[in-house]
Amino acid sequence: MTTGLTHSATATAALLATLSPFVAFLVILIVTRSRQQLSATVSLGAVGLSFVCAVLLLAGYWGMEGAVRLTVPWLSAGAYAIPFGFLLDPLSLLMLVIVTTISLLVQVYSLGYMAGDSGFSRYYAFMSLFVFSMTNLTLAPTLLQLYVFWELVGLSSYLLIGFWYEKFSATQAGKKAFVMTRAGDVAFFLGMLVPLLHLGNVGIVDMNSLHPATSISPGMLTLSAVLIFGGIVGKSAQFPLMTWLPDAMEGPTPVSALLHSATMVAAGVYLFARLFPYFSLSPTAMTLFLFIGTLSMLLASTMAMVDRDIKKVWAYSTISQLGFMIMALASGGPGGYFSGVYHLTTHAGFKALLFLCSGVFIHHFQTNDMFELSEKQCRHLKVPTVAIVLAAAALSGLPPLSGYFSKEAILKQLTVLPNPIWLTAALLGVFLTAYYSFRVVFVLCFPRKPEADSEEQTVKGDTAHGGHGEASYGLMVWPLVILAGITLLLGFGEHALKVLLVGHQDARGSLEGWAVDWLPVAALGLAISGAGVAWVEFGHKKAKQVGFVEEEPRLAALFRERWYLDHLYRILVERGIDKGISTLFYRNDNLVIDGSIDGMGKGTVEGGRFVARLHLGMIQHRLVVTLAVLAFLSLYFFF
Amino acid sequence: MIVPFSHVLVLAGMLFVLGIVCTVARRNLIMIVLGVEIMLNAASIAFVGAASRWHNLEGQAFVLFVLAIAATEVSVGLAIIVYAFRRTGSFDPSAYNRLK
Amino acid sequence: MTLYTLLFYLVATVIVASTAVAITRRNLVHAVVYLIVSYFGTALLFYLLGAPLLAAFEVIIYAGAIMVLFLFVVMMIRIEAHEEVFFPLSQWLPAVGFGAVYLIAGSVMVFKTPGTEVKLDLVLALPRDYAVYVFKEHWLSIEIVSLLLLVALVAALHLGKGNDKGAMEEES
Repeated sequence: MTTGLTHSATATAALLATLSPFVAFLVILIVTRSRQQLSATVSLGAVGLSFVCAVLLLAGYWGMEGAVRLTVPWLSAGAYAIPFGFLLDPLSLLMLVIVTTISLLVQVYSLGYMAGDSGFSRYYAFMSLFVFSMTNLTLAPTLLQLYVFWELVGLSSYLLIGFWYEKFSATQAGKKAFVMTRAGDVAFFLGMLVPLLHLGNVGIVDMNSLHPATSISPGMLTLSAVLIFGGIVGKSAQFPLMTWLPDAMEGPTPVSALLHSATMVAAGVYLFARLFPYFSLSPTAMTLFLFIGTLSMLLASTMAMVDRDIKKVWAYSTISQLGFMIMALASGGPGGYFSGVYHLTTHAGFKALLFLCSGVFIHHFQTNDMFELSEKQCRHLKVPTVAIVLAAAALSGLPPLSGYFSKEAILKQLTVLPNPIWLTAALLGVFLTAYYSFRVVFVLCFPRKPEADSEEQTVKGDTAHGGHGEASYGLMVWPLVILAGITLLLGFGEHALKVLLVGHQDARGSLEGWAVDWLPVAALGLAISGAGVAWVEFGHKKAKQVGFVEEEPRLAALFRERWYLDHLYRILVERGIDKGISTLFYRNDNLVIDGSIDGMGKGTVEGGRFVARLHLGMIQHRLVVTLAVLAFLSLYFFF
Repeated sequence: MIVPFSHVLVLAGMLFVLGIVCTVARRNLIMIVLGVEIMLNAASIAFVGAASRWHNLEGQAFVLFVLAIAATEVSVGLAIIVYAFRRTGSFDPSAYNRLK
Repeated sequence: MTLYTLLFYLVATVIVASTAVAITRRNLVHAVVYLIVSYFGTALLFYLLGAPLLAAFEVIIYAGAIMVLFLFVVMMIRIEAHEEVFFPLSQWLPAVGFGAVYLIAGSVMVFKTPGTEVKLDLVLALPRDYAVYVFKEHWLSIEIVSLLLLVALVAALHLGKGNDKGAMEEES
């Protein structure tokens, strides 16, 4: 260890922030597994410590110039050296604060949500593991360390999705998430090798300097960027690896809130922001990313329009919002960088809020279907209802909530691009987002059937979700209030964040003012009209609660089946792997390996038979050979 | 002056080839041994011719040994043939195929 | 062209013809008899080439002993009862082919080699000179050959005597 790492207060704080959840994980797993309350306390204490350290670090860093690197050597082989440690700069510290905040709130919430579950301690152990991985991922100074924790995040995600492992669909979903993200991670690793070979290390600071532009050819740079982006596509569930995220909703709702909306899937976008200058060196790759972000955004929006499962709607919306962030980042420049990260921040707040509110409903009424929830009079739970309306409005981009500011920043950034198609797509996305989020809100708030035996319904429920009561409800509500407050207020911190992320000059420079005058009006108008369409179809007293998409069954089926992406994968797997590769292997086994072994046996037998034939009584055969040799010898000697 | 030495050698060669054909082409152990005898005889003729050509008794001395070898070979060979015939009931060498 | 030359070609023709007839006989007795004719011709040739003792040996041992031995065997086991596969194609074709190659190559070689065109003289090795030469120069070889004959005698006796043992082996 370097002296800087041991004696500086910053290093101590960073160490505490990253390692305490791991200690909690070990303690819960080894010591306190059988005592649920103690486990929860340990985990909460650890993540609380992390949170405090993160806030202190951010506060201490505010206004400092340049990034701080605290590293110790870890691996060195010849010219390659890979250190281990922390990289503290505005982006990583902001992300650290987001992660620890949401984790803390979700863990408090889980005290109520998971109460009585038999795997309570296990849940908190996995949560601690996740926080440990995520904080380290955030502060990683090298791409390799980032990759290590990236995989650990994938592991904890797998464990948490399949948390209720007695459910077959949950284990299947966990497996699917694991395998699909792994496909992207392989590409990520391959992409990481290019800078390692050309630069000699994969330090994020080195990669983000101007060094790669001179030492790596443009083609290799594009290849590396696209491959690393493969990891982002897997982790952030972008097209074409997007279908694992809705299935991942099999996990407990707090897990969905924490991992699959606010932090883990945002890790992909975070990686993009982390390597933003590196990716910017390749305009071709950036155009491709822009395309993928736009496509994911639109596809996921359409899927969200028809689903009845409330959690899946939010999952699709997560994909769509992540697509927005990718679009913003891929448009390039400091404006793109800022607007993407800003949307990441606000999205973490309101999406966690949406999930936690839904979690309260689901916990209370034991169903995921929003129409059933509505029939059971979920609007009588006041706090979550108000909070979900707030969060949906933020998601739709209505002022003065945080989503409005970040989405406007992205739209403003997109006007910079010469091709208007991206801006058009984004505006369409704004409309669709408002439509599907208010569809959920109106369905929940305006039940069709008259109020029935709602109070009795709450008693129903299986043991896994048991443990109702005022205490758990109160524990679940407080995080909602805090998150709602964040959603309300975060929009006004835009300038401060901009100064933090891109510095004073850029913050005051080209980003100020609207490039196009009609844009804010158009965006706001589209959002309101989306909400209006939803009102006409779902909120109005006489509305049939049938969306305009569902009027056209083929279109609805297309959206509901996720554009047949899963079918496509199945066909690809069947054709490509089952029929192609495995047939090849099968033939190889049968013909080459079996054949060669059989051939050895048969060859021995046949060879023995052949040799035996030479040893029969037919000495004349041998005499013929002798004679032939004699004849040819005579020819050889005299001609 | 009788004939050129080469004619004697060609005669020996023709006899030798006849012996070979007999040995190789017949499917009868007795004829095979007969073929061997013919070849030995051919060799004897060549030796005697050479002795006459160089006025040297060495060639004729060798024929004596050839005779002795031929007598040995025939007595042992025929004894083996009789023995084999008693065991298999055939003179055909292709019938001796127990190894197959 | 002397009388001896004429005699040589005559005898050679008889030898080759009778041998050729002998090897193509289906009946083994006929074959052996034709071969005896061939050996008589050979004996005559030996006498012509100046080896009277060897000519006598040829008649006594070859025509007398060996061929009679063959006749005994043939008659003893009634070889006529067995139908022989006569000159199968897979055997006589390579035999004749390679034999012809060998013969042509050998003849060309013989005629090309210097010293073979020398005509043979009329010489005569008297039996006495021959015996003195053999026992003076090759006495050890004579002893070895006599030992070999003894071994052959024992072997033939043993093979002929081992009937019971052979039958037992067959049964087991």
